[in-house]
Amino acid sequence: MRWYERIAAIDRRIIYIILSVLVIIPFFIPFTMKQNIMPQTQRLYNFIDSLPPNDKAIILSLDYTPQTMPETHPMAIAILSHCFAKNIPVVGMSFDPQAPGLAIDAFTTVVDGINLNALTREDSVIYGEDYVYLGWKSGRVAAEIQMGESIADVFPRDYFSISIDSLPLMQRVKNYKQVSIAIIIAGADYPQDWILYPQARYGVRVGAGLTAVMSPKYYPFLQTGQLSGLLSGMKGAAEYETLLLKNGYVKQLGKAETGMNSQSLIHILIIVFIILGNIGFFFSRKRK
Amino acid sequence: MSPDPWIWIAAILTLMIFSFLFRDNPFYKFAEHLFVGVANGYYIVYYWYNALWPNLFEPLAAGQIVYIIPLLLGLMYFTRFIPKIGWIVRIPIGFMIGWGAGISIPAYFQAFLIKQLEGAIVTPQSFTNPISGVWAIISLIGVVCTLVYFYFSKEHKGILKPTARIGIAFIMIGFGASFGYTVMARVSLLIGRVQFLLGPWLGLID
Repeated sequence: MRWYERIAAIDRRIIYIILSVLVIIPFFIPFTMKQNIMPQTQRLYNFIDSLPPNDKAIILSLDYTPQTMPETHPMAIAILSHCFAKNIPVVGMSFDPQAPGLAIDAFTTVVDGINLNALTREDSVIYGEDYVYLGWKSGRVAAEIQMGESIADVFPRDYFSISIDSLPLMQRVKNYKQVSIAIIIAGADYPQDWILYPQARYGVRVGAGLTAVMSPKYYPFLQTGQLSGLLSGMKGAAEYETLLLKNGYVKQLGKAETGMNSQSLIHILIIVFIILGNIGFFFSRKRK
Repeated sequence: MSPDPWIWIAAILTLMIFSFLFRDNPFYKFAEHLFVGVANGYYIVYYWYNALWPNLFEPLAAGQIVYIIPLLLGLMYFTRFIPKIGWIVRIPIGFMIGWGAGISIPAYFQAFLIKQLEGAIVTPQSFTNPISGVWAIISLIGVVCTLVYFYFSKEHKGILKPTARIGIAFIMIGFGASFGYTVMARVSLLIGRVQFLLGPWLGLID
């Protein structure tokens, strides 16, 4: 076998071993790679940052599943951290049946972290006043449209079976008129429905946090202004974490930023393999 | 190492799934079948307690007779299992298609077609920033050339040929971007599992 045939036919198991080693190395030999903030991440960050405190709420629709957690969970944590640091009320909900457990975990992680160091009411985050989680609802298109009239009609009770009429936050947030933006964090096509129905009918602003696979489909919506910002995969989450740290909203970076070092190494590796594969292919063809 | 047995189960199942990278084997098959079974069980129980019971059977039990209509429509789907009356399934399917089309068609036109057309048009406002102006022109060229590539009513000869060629170039750039993002997504999933194995399971990282 000639050298160019050999590099074009590297055993996939060798590639997996090299890939695994490169994923693991950054966890034990930490290094910092500069994060260039993409405009769509900056747009979402700027929008949330410009909202006045204790005014209109943010709808955070957490629609991701365990398999996409490494990309989407850090996004949820970063956005919640930003909102609570700015005293922006959050109304959480889910339309994916696998999401509620993860959504509760995201809320608990952020709220516990804040309340652990809180000394006053202003420093703390309280359920029902600063945030609520309404749980899961089937038939998401109908639910999203109906919430334009009344959120209580769709979610009469929250995730914990408490009547939402008894929650102080939900006494203020009746429908989309009291909502500044709906941010959908998902591993599937959920933001599309928000653009199609609540935005088209009620003019709701929409932002999204999506897995990297989903992101290219949503770029056209950024140009038209139908999306007010987009976090794309682990990189988007890492960028948001970087912005939060840079502006003093958090004291340390989250999990996405740690993963981005492995991500960068793997990308270099894949580029090298693509070049090697092409060299092998080019020389084989030339010989024939 | 974690003392939590659930962490151990998750870690072992993760390794069983990863074993497929070497070759197909009984450990992988076991984990795969277990996943399918657990996922189905989860969905059935979840939908029963969170969708069917509170949205259908609870109101029916409370005497709201009108809920018989969705119940009947739902039951009609099961007629597919009885060939003689299988045609009845067309009624709920027709209802769903009618509802779906009625609600979606105007929304798709508004949000996808009209808004995207607006976005593709170059206006004087596009040039408030010179860079965005250049991008607006590139974007317009890309849209027109790609549409020409998908225009099959006339043979791609003359001016259509180079235009369609440019369209292909834009499509290829789109595929390249999608591929790059797909690689990032798949590697992210691997990183997530490695973080779990090294962290909660082995306790080697925070």
